[in-house]
Amino acid sequence: MARVVILGAGISGHTAALYLRRLLGKEHEVLVVSPNSKWNWIPSNIWVGVGRMSAKAVTFPLAPVYRRKGITFEQAKAVAVRPEGDEADGRPTVEVVYTSAERQGQTARITYDYLVNATGPKLNFAATSGLGPDGNSLSVCTPGHAEQAAGALNEVIARLRAGQPQRLVIGVGHGACTCEGAAFEYTFNVEHELRSRGLRELADVVYLTNEYELGDFGVGGMSFKQQGFITSSQTWTESLFRERGVRAILRAHVERIEPGKLFYETLDGEHDALEFDFAMLLPPFRGADLKAYDRSGQDITDRLFAPNGFLRVDADYSQRPFEEWRAEDWPKTYQSPSYANVFGVGIAFAPPHPISRPRTSPNGTVISPAPPRTGMPSGIMGRQVAHSIADMIKGKATTPTHLASMAHMGAACIASAGAGLRDGTAAAMTMYPVVPDYVRYPVHGRSLKDTYGEVGLAAHWVKHLLHFLFIYKAKARPGWSLLPE
Amino acid sequence: MDVAEERIASAPLPTTRTLRLRSNIPFQLWRFAVINLRMLRMIRKGH
Repeated sequence: MARVVILGAGISGHTAALYLRRLLGKEHEVLVVSPNSKWNWIPSNIWVGVGRMSAKAVTFPLAPVYRRKGITFEQAKAVAVRPEGDEADGRPTVEVVYTSAERQGQTARITYDYLVNATGPKLNFAATSGLGPDGNSLSVCTPGHAEQAAGALNEVIARLRAGQPQRLVIGVGHGACTCEGAAFEYTFNVEHELRSRGLRELADVVYLTNEYELGDFGVGGMSFKQQGFITSSQTWTESLFRERGVRAILRAHVERIEPGKLFYETLDGEHDALEFDFAMLLPPFRGADLKAYDRSGQDITDRLFAPNGFLRVDADYSQRPFEEWRAEDWPKTYQSPSYANVFGVGIAFAPPHPISRPRTSPNGTVISPAPPRTGMPSGIMGRQVAHSIADMIKGKATTPTHLASMAHMGAACIASAGAGLRDGTAAAMTMYPVVPDYVRYPVHGRSLKDTYGEVGLAAHWVKHLLHFLFIYKAKARPGWSLLPE
Repeated sequence: MDVAEERIASAPLPTTRTLRLRSNIPFQLWRFAVINLRMLRMIRKGH
């Protein structure tokens, strides 16, 4: 009998848990540790943030699903990993602190045979003074944050109706943020809401980003073949900004946020400030605060985790200049090089380097996007790691059998630009591979046949359909495994 | 005018026909099928 412990029940961890349960016999235990009692379809949080959906519509309780599937669930937060156990007991363990109302604050040690770290990001609001719902800006990272943002947006709408001009700043709250795509979506959803209410004239909508150019999205931008031309995601995105009258501040690192005013540094080293009536700024991410100890109790956190808190896996982490980055630097199996029974998937694994070109201001401030690793790639990683672990438990192999390199994986991204069954809009994009490979695709780094984008109502329908399909799949309803990640 | 503002100001604008097609239901039903087929192709390659 083997026990697989999965830390985190987001897209990656939940997918891994469902597949492991499906692949392993009942003699083996699949155990999920998550501080949250609910699963959240995060891509739809932007619709909660404009009041188009309720928090309930994008979440569901995990416990009944896990009970039905025979997965053990501990509502707790992992705080430490002991991959060699301790001197009294050599079995690997995870230390957890319970977060459920009944067991709040209680601690426990859970032994494991295999460990999947799918803890996702720690929302690092503390990186920027005044950032976040506890400070002076808003967020749509969680359903609760998104509901709060919707409430603040309603107040802005009321002031606009009263004839007061309003400035809405939406973007990222630090120079090293990721998830520019989500900020882009929220910007255009807010713009759409204001326009559909006839209030656009008095609203100044500003997109503030750490991207070097619009359309970068943390993946170094894309090239599309359209109507006989090869065009860039930059031109494509700029066109949407012009069409919708949205202003942009690029190459910015937000330094601090005071009530109604934010201060930022730009890549040329200049400092500036911007007043606002509404600011939704996403935080930078770092790994969950997990410590690691060896058998003697020595702290080995630095061996298991990168300085940013993400788990080191089978990537090539040697420091090289941008020109020498290779697609093959990216991990394939997500296995820890230190412990063969530990894996890291989704946002929790440490990427070898960004995808966009890194840039630093004359003051030494890093102002460039961190690499995204959410959505479709996250789900695929969870599934492939589940297959590898199942094969290893069944004795079919001693090393991981399934690969999921982001350099050999495509991604489909639907960026909403306004909700509405008849008047909605979204940008549908596909790219292959996620990490550009200039050996296989020397000019653009990606396949022009499979990298594509279009704007329209149909893309909104697809996004809406995906909302229902992925929640259906996550609830492990009949046929769930037939739906792709 | 900074770089971003300059570029946005000179970005290509969609024609009235393009804008109309983006919300034209029959045309968008066709595009819905095309987007789904493209995504299926991506899924087949990426999985």
